[in-house]
Amino acid sequence: MSKPAFIEIINATKSYKGNELPAVDALNLAIRQNEIFGLLGPNGAGKTTTISMLCGLVQPTSGEVRINSIDLASDLSRLKQMIGVVPQDIALYPTLTGRENLEFYGAMYGVPKVVLNDRIHTWLKKFDMEKIAHKRVSSYSGGMKRRINLIAGILHQPEILFLDEPTVGVDVQSRADIMHHLKALNAEGMTIVYTSHHLEEAQQFCTDVAIIDTGKIIARGKPMELIDQHSDCRNLEELFLKLTKRKITT
Amino acid sequence: MRKLLAAMKKEFLLLVRDKMGLSILFIMPMVLIFIMTLIQDAAFRTLNEEGIPLLVVNEDQDAVGFRIENGLKDSELVAFNNTIHGKRATRNELYKAVEKGQFLIGIIIPKGTTAAIEEDVKRMVDESLGEEVSQETPASMEIEMVIDPIASKSFVISVTSQLREFISSVQTRVLFETFNAQIAELIPSDVGMEKREYSKRQAVTYKEVYASEISGEIRPNAVQHNIPAWTIFAMFFIILPLVSSIMKEKEEGSVFRFHTIPASYFLQINAKLIAFIIICLIQFVLMLIIGLVFLPMLGLPVLQLGNSYAGIFLMALGCALAATGFGVLVGSIAATQQQGAVLGSLSILILSAIGGIWVPAYVMPSIMRTISEISPLKWAMDGFYGLFLRGEGFTDVLTHFIKLALFFTICLLIAIRVQSKKRIG
Repeated sequence: MSKPAFIEIINATKSYKGNELPAVDALNLAIRQNEIFGLLGPNGAGKTTTISMLCGLVQPTSGEVRINSIDLASDLSRLKQMIGVVPQDIALYPTLTGRENLEFYGAMYGVPKVVLNDRIHTWLKKFDMEKIAHKRVSSYSGGMKRRINLIAGILHQPEILFLDEPTVGVDVQSRADIMHHLKALNAEGMTIVYTSHHLEEAQQFCTDVAIIDTGKIIARGKPMELIDQHSDCRNLEELFLKLTKRKITT
Repeated sequence: MRKLLAAMKKEFLLLVRDKMGLSILFIMPMVLIFIMTLIQDAAFRTLNEEGIPLLVVNEDQDAVGFRIENGLKDSELVAFNNTIHGKRATRNELYKAVEKGQFLIGIIIPKGTTAAIEEDVKRMVDESLGEEVSQETPASMEIEMVIDPIASKSFVISVTSQLREFISSVQTRVLFETFNAQIAELIPSDVGMEKREYSKRQAVTYKEVYASEISGEIRPNAVQHNIPAWTIFAMFFIILPLVSSIMKEKEEGSVFRFHTIPASYFLQINAKLIAFIIICLIQFVLMLIIGLVFLPMLGLPVLQLGNSYAGIFLMALGCALAATGFGVLVGSIAATQQQGAVLGSLSILILSAIGGIWVPAYVMPSIMRTISEISPLKWAMDGFYGLFLRGEGFTDVLTHFIKLALFFTICLLIAIRVQSKKRIG
């Protein structure tokens, strides 16, 4: 028997003023607990709006969003404690040090000071950033910033982690390091919802994916099962191009 | 509470590490106060100590001409001259010298001025005694004031009215003396002497007293006017780093993160407000220290703080609230950092102009005086002038504080509304 849905989007539509077409159109999506779920799609497909609805950043024009059976519209504050968000932009203060940024965001999540210091120490060590934690973020490389950006989203040990392009603009080594730690977090029970343009990365990383285009899900399933359904496609990228009839742009 | 303290710590760290922001917050206002006070004080001193450069051409060469020349030589208002290159100036030379800006004002006393007054008096006496006088009205003499066109109208009016008053008094004295001399021909000489003494005495004199409750003599001066005015201006300029801080967080993605964490975005705004209000108050104290310690070192008068420290604190707090509240509003409305900077700086310039920072509100036209009442900078100025110049107390400035606090509240309410609308998108 399959697990019940942990994250549910039920017939959700989101329209923005001035736009004729809705960004998300009667979307239905169910994500099970402890999945690594990849939301893939070309630019303007509705990925960011979907993630924003799941994080409670925007309210759907119609429909429902539920996490662990909690309706977001009624209990957003409870949801915020459950989720961690790693935005695509490096949402860090460049003139603060890496440690100061982590101390600030950890405090905002209400992590007790002693626990917070311990977690910061652990994560900096895991990412081999202890020696540069006292330096300002502005002096970091792209990969270092991405790692601190990720740590800032997981210090409170969320049940669900939303990752928007977590490896964009980083070198291969940093990417492998980030993906390795994300898999470890998932192994510990964290549900991960992830968007990326790196379809090869998504194919290896995700347990389940959905391809979204013009606000609608056009394919859904395990990466290998989806590829197998289309005999002319050898990988997720070819499948994506076939289904969306568009090139991937970053 | 821990979240608020953490957010405040973050704000202070960001401020301390933002060199440009710090210079806007502290160095620029201090430089502004030094420069503006020194310039205005120097201007006052030039007028008061060295006097206005003035050239006199005395074509009369008689009692009125000499009296005016001697009187102006002794006057503190002007720096008297009647020669160019060591020679007595002529009418044409005067025109050219004033035109070239060598002198701000030139006075030409035409030939026959004294004779005309004497003739007038003689005619008056003759008429009084019933003697026959000529029916022809004598031509009146015209003392000419030549003015450098670069001098501002208000300045010219102020100086020329004083000169006119002085010249009139000389004319009146000469007129009385001539009249005395005419009468002396008709009555015994010993009585005439007494009358001459009487005519030299000033029956009415003027005394200027400033209506202030501050004990001891307080004279409005460059320090007393400039410190409150430019301090208010500087405190309102805090909106630039505040707007920049809000916009940076929006653009760098921190606001996105704030909306996903279990702490209200308004907690971040509150932390910002508290941090910037503290900065504003530090700014204010520094400005007062400049007026109390540093400007006197340069020979300027010491800033008089008036009678109420509680009133000063209340007004400083009101000013800080209004400035930071307005900053949050601009930060909420603006879409980009650049837009925020332009909107912020322009609005401060407009509010300060209509608020009487650049030109006192009392010299503005009636419509502008009415408009100036909507500027929070005007409320702050009125409060500080009341404290520093009129010697008012805590209760006297309470109304100004309430206005500033209301302005702060309204700005925040609008900002919250704008922010909520943007978020619902």
